[in-house]
Amino acid sequence: MKYLQEVWGSRELLFNLTSREVRGKYKRTVFGQLWSLANPLALMLVYTLVFGLLFRIKPLPGDPSGLDVFALWLLCGLLPWTFFASVASAGAGSLVENSNLIQKVSFSRVVLPLSTVGSSAYNWGFEMIVLIIAISIAGGFVLPWIPLVMVAMVLLAVFAAGVGLILAISNVYFRDTQYLLSIVLQFWMYLTPIIYPISLVESASKKTGGLAGTQVTVLDIYTLNPMEHFVTLFRELIYDNRFPSGVEWLVCVCWALAALGVGLIIFRRNERNLAEAL
Amino acid sequence: MSDVAVKVDHVTKSFRMYHERNQSLKSAIMRGRTSVHEDFLALRNVTFDVPVGSTFGLIGSNGSGKSTLLKCLANIYYPNEGSISHFGRIAAMLEVGSGFHAELSGRENIFLNGSILGMSKKDVTRKFDEIVDFSGVEQFIDQPVKNYSSGMYVRLGFAIAINVDPDILVVDEVLAVGDQDFQDKCFQKFVDFKEQGKTVILVSHSMQTVQTMCDHVAWLNHGELNAVGAAEPTIKAYIDSLHTGE
Repeated sequence: MKYLQEVWGSRELLFNLTSREVRGKYKRTVFGQLWSLANPLALMLVYTLVFGLLFRIKPLPGDPSGLDVFALWLLCGLLPWTFFASVASAGAGSLVENSNLIQKVSFSRVVLPLSTVGSSAYNWGFEMIVLIIAISIAGGFVLPWIPLVMVAMVLLAVFAAGVGLILAISNVYFRDTQYLLSIVLQFWMYLTPIIYPISLVESASKKTGGLAGTQVTVLDIYTLNPMEHFVTLFRELIYDNRFPSGVEWLVCVCWALAALGVGLIIFRRNERNLAEAL
Repeated sequence: MSDVAVKVDHVTKSFRMYHERNQSLKSAIMRGRTSVHEDFLALRNVTFDVPVGSTFGLIGSNGSGKSTLLKCLANIYYPNEGSISHFGRIAAMLEVGSGFHAELSGRENIFLNGSILGMSKKDVTRKFDEIVDFSGVEQFIDQPVKNYSSGMYVRLGFAIAINVDPDILVVDEVLAVGDQDFQDKCFQKFVDFKEQGKTVILVSHSMQTVQTMCDHVAWLNHGELNAVGAAEPTIKAYIDSLHTGE
């Protein structure tokens, strides 16, 4: 509890470090903040061409929204994912990159990984606004769902923060973490129903049946992935315009709190040793 | 002089010297250990008190543990044994301009650096003019700091750090920044500090600086406290030991 108070006490520093990231990033570029949209748009274009047009992946139309646009359906899962991936990789590097600061000034170290959540969330918020406008133009009735979308965004940010804290510490002791992470994130992305609908996994799982004579199916293992639940949450809210089941919400809340709790405990244990370990 | 500002109580600090340091996962898994090391004692059972309102110097040759002690005082390292307690707000100046972002303007960096050093936004706003005035970079305050000369850069950094306004100030050899004019200004600032009854702890290799500024001195030698006391006799003993070659 005392630790949380200390973190809360550094909120001003957290805000300043976040705005350092945000303002410093696109300085001296002509398009400025618009660049943060370039990456998701490029990904959207590639995946829509390859998976939507070539492989003809056909997700079910939004229920009850009636939307049937692959690119928008894709973005509802892709934007939360790119946010999560950027927090994980920026968070992993946050302590090592600021080693000079850690060795010279005493301050609450936890603000360093948390500020990467802040600056990524800033870009993500920008992207989500564009997505919501695009879906509204396409005919989705997403406006009343915005408060719940924001709740879901906070949940994912909490989950990402926890993961970022763990990775930041692990990267101090094992510099391999950041390289390993980029590979893990690639696998992880394809293990999450972002560019294909989960119905494909469901039907494949039904065909295979229980694994090795047990009741456990492929789908059961597949849904252990927390990002699967977060993506489902966002897709049902934004694309389908319906209320996700209480179980989905509960799973996401549990993952978020567990990740943050473990992250804070690990971070706190190692915080004092950082100046020496770096 | 009876009040104590900082109490250094039987402080021991050791570092691990790595014979082979494996920071990769592979070696950790393959050999079941991350490193082979032996402990190196940087500070051994150091005890002294810093009186309130004094200017306290830490002297000693290279590798005597001055900087380690300073970092312990600044809450960057934590002693393995013993404790350091301070009474009042402590601020450390081990480096100037920490956390400056080169692309941001001087103005933005003042707010950023100020908050890293523990000032609230209100504090910085209140002291803003004083900081800018002291650094002497008014003309360039809205320019990105990467365009600053190195002198302007450290002057701005120093001006922010000195305005944190702590009860106890811990200073590494940062006095050697800027031109003569600026150094005089810094010197004056330390004198003002002292007059306000605040404590300054200073590490320097320049005996002249220590002699003119400090009233108390601790002399460290290979991690152990050799002598502590009034400035003049301690400095003299230290210089004598250098001449006789120990």
